[in-house]
Amino acid sequence: MKKKMTKLERGEALTGYLFILPQMAGFIVLVLVPLVMVFTYSFESRNLLFGNMGFTGLDNYKTLIGDDLFYMTLKNTVIFSLGVVPLNLVLSLALALYLGSASTGTKIVRSVIFLPVITSGVAWAIVFTYLFQGGEAGPINYILSLIGIEGPNWLHEKGWAMFAVVVSRVLKNLGTNVLIFMGAVMNLPQDVLEAGRIDGATRPILFWKIKLPLLMPSILMVMIVTVIGSMRVFDTIKLMTDGGPEGSTMVLVYYIYHQAFRTFNIGYASTIAVVLFFIVLLLTIAQWALRRRASYYED
Amino acid sequence: MRSSLKMRVLCALLALLMLSVPVMAGGSQESGSTSSGPVRIKIATWTSNPDQIALLQSFVDEFAAKEGIEVAAEFESIEFGEYNTKLSLELQGSQAPDVFWVLETSAPAFIESGLLAPLDAELAEYNPEDLSAKAMELWQKDGVTYAVPFSTSPFFMIYNADLFAAAGIDTPDKLVAEGKWDWNAFRAASKAIKDATGVWGYQTVDGGGYDVRILHNLCPIIRSYGGDAWTNDGQILINTPESVEAVQLFHDMVYVDGSVVPPGDQSDFFSGAAAMTAAQVSRVSKLTDVDFAWGVAPMPAGPMGDVPITGQAGIGAFSKGKNVDVAKKLVAYMTNEECVARMAGIWPPARYSVLESPDFLTSQPLLTADQMSMAVAGSIETGRVLPSHVMYPQIEVESRIVWDRLWNPNADVQAVLDGVAEVYAKYIK
Repeated sequence: MKKKMTKLERGEALTGYLFILPQMAGFIVLVLVPLVMVFTYSFESRNLLFGNMGFTGLDNYKTLIGDDLFYMTLKNTVIFSLGVVPLNLVLSLALALYLGSASTGTKIVRSVIFLPVITSGVAWAIVFTYLFQGGEAGPINYILSLIGIEGPNWLHEKGWAMFAVVVSRVLKNLGTNVLIFMGAVMNLPQDVLEAGRIDGATRPILFWKIKLPLLMPSILMVMIVTVIGSMRVFDTIKLMTDGGPEGSTMVLVYYIYHQAFRTFNIGYASTIAVVLFFIVLLLTIAQWALRRRASYYED
Repeated sequence: MRSSLKMRVLCALLALLMLSVPVMAGGSQESGSTSSGPVRIKIATWTSNPDQIALLQSFVDEFAAKEGIEVAAEFESIEFGEYNTKLSLELQGSQAPDVFWVLETSAPAFIESGLLAPLDAELAEYNPEDLSAKAMELWQKDGVTYAVPFSTSPFFMIYNADLFAAAGIDTPDKLVAEGKWDWNAFRAASKAIKDATGVWGYQTVDGGGYDVRILHNLCPIIRSYGGDAWTNDGQILINTPESVEAVQLFHDMVYVDGSVVPPGDQSDFFSGAAAMTAAQVSRVSKLTDVDFAWGVAPMPAGPMGDVPITGQAGIGAFSKGKNVDVAKKLVAYMTNEECVARMAGIWPPARYSVLESPDFLTSQPLLTADQMSMAVAGSIETGRVLPSHVMYPQIEVESRIVWDRLWNPNADVQAVLDGVAEVYAKYIK
């Protein structure tokens, strides 16, 4: 039988609730209510100029099923994520392992790697747009020309544009993951590593058989965050390519923006947003399940 | 123990108070705005030029004095690229402007949506017959006027005379005088300059000719060859032989001659990195600080003559605004003969009385009367606005993906334009 709360316990509970009230109020007003509104709008013919033109049931979802642009942007989002996530994870883990073992110069390298994270995303994208200019006007192409390579028109050629956007995005966010991995690397149990060394484990074996399994919870956590981040990319795309050329860098979030604020079709944009919400939710659940399975020592 | 609990309850109440203060402050602000006092008019524009805002403010002051009311005007400058997005959001919320500028391409959608108030009763006071019927077409529906074009500004060519001299070729205005200023002469001049000086021959309008300004860039050539994007009666002409020939000419300039600033290159005419660009009167102020000699000329002619693009911008009143009656009167006042005459040097007007006045030709201090007459006044007569449609935003977004295929050296111009025509056909019936 549940024990009845004393007056003191009730007072403490009330205090707790009052403390979380500001946070909860913010969550309800800024997250929960908009989320419910997006779900509602997805069943309406709602336009920014014309207002709500009525409940349309599943019409927006039927439109989405036949929308070639939706499938194109979905494919682009997958390509973007497949570019960003592995590159980011491998580079940040390698840097974290290096910085965790190096004895000199780590503070400077750490600062340099973290600098892009605190740089404005807009400024970063503008600088990279300049760097990736086509012809010899672009600094990257100029450097390539010095070694006899004619660089492409990075942001205006299909294929290269996505590459340029991925590179820009990876370099921008690398620092955060490096810091997380460094924390994990520094907290590796030294006795286990020492035991491995005494048993004659070489450096590759030490990495693959001991360090990597021990780092797996951090890797999977970073992977979840990076995947979600890559699905929500907006500023880099808007400023560097505006979704072009030929829609090759138009990702889902940018398509939602186009539908909502360029063609004013809020109802349909909400439908795509709902689909994106479920995609991210499913991916997160899948990765979370993987985390429990792959992290052998985690409860 | 008791004092500890008291302290926690006190802390929690303080947190609650902190949360409630902004809410209450917001509430008091709201109630303050509804108190009696001057009529508050919010005016949304895409200019942030202080001189231009001051000019608009002077119109508001004069209007208030004329009406015998107190008007507190708040100008909101929205960045051009985000103008429609932000304006449409504001019009659905509580921060809506009472008076706002409207882009020509958005005019049909804004009129259809009912967000613009009818203005005919207010305009009646200011000689509406003086407004060019051709210029007003876009802003009227079923004989009702929903906005007034405060700017009917043709695109013309600005050129760097030093680069023409360096290449040893005739300037565009000389070719105009000889009747030789056509697209082939333009192409030849652009290539000659690139070959002789290494500097680009031409930069598209505002550098956006490959994407956001694609129709501004291509339509002058297409129309002067006898083609068009589409017509108001629903004919799609973007893939006709005339349109294809015109677009092929521009494509060859970019990829065969290599004389046009290509996609992705940020070289700018006003910094001396290109010899010619298409521009409007409002861009002329950027020539104040350039360190080269310059001149202006009308857009080159094609087989069908000189068909420049006229850029229009309208001003209207929000039909659901709190002060809609005052807003409508203000719009009518701001577009009267006297006000548009004072704006004419920046935004060429749609009023015959001003356009035909000798003062108009001297209204832009950086241009001579001859230049104004040749490049601006003459083009207002022959110019046409871009094609418009109530679904223009959708058309623009979808066709852009197809247009992008044009910007590579091996593009099949006919195939790309067929693709664009397919997109147009989805919306234009």
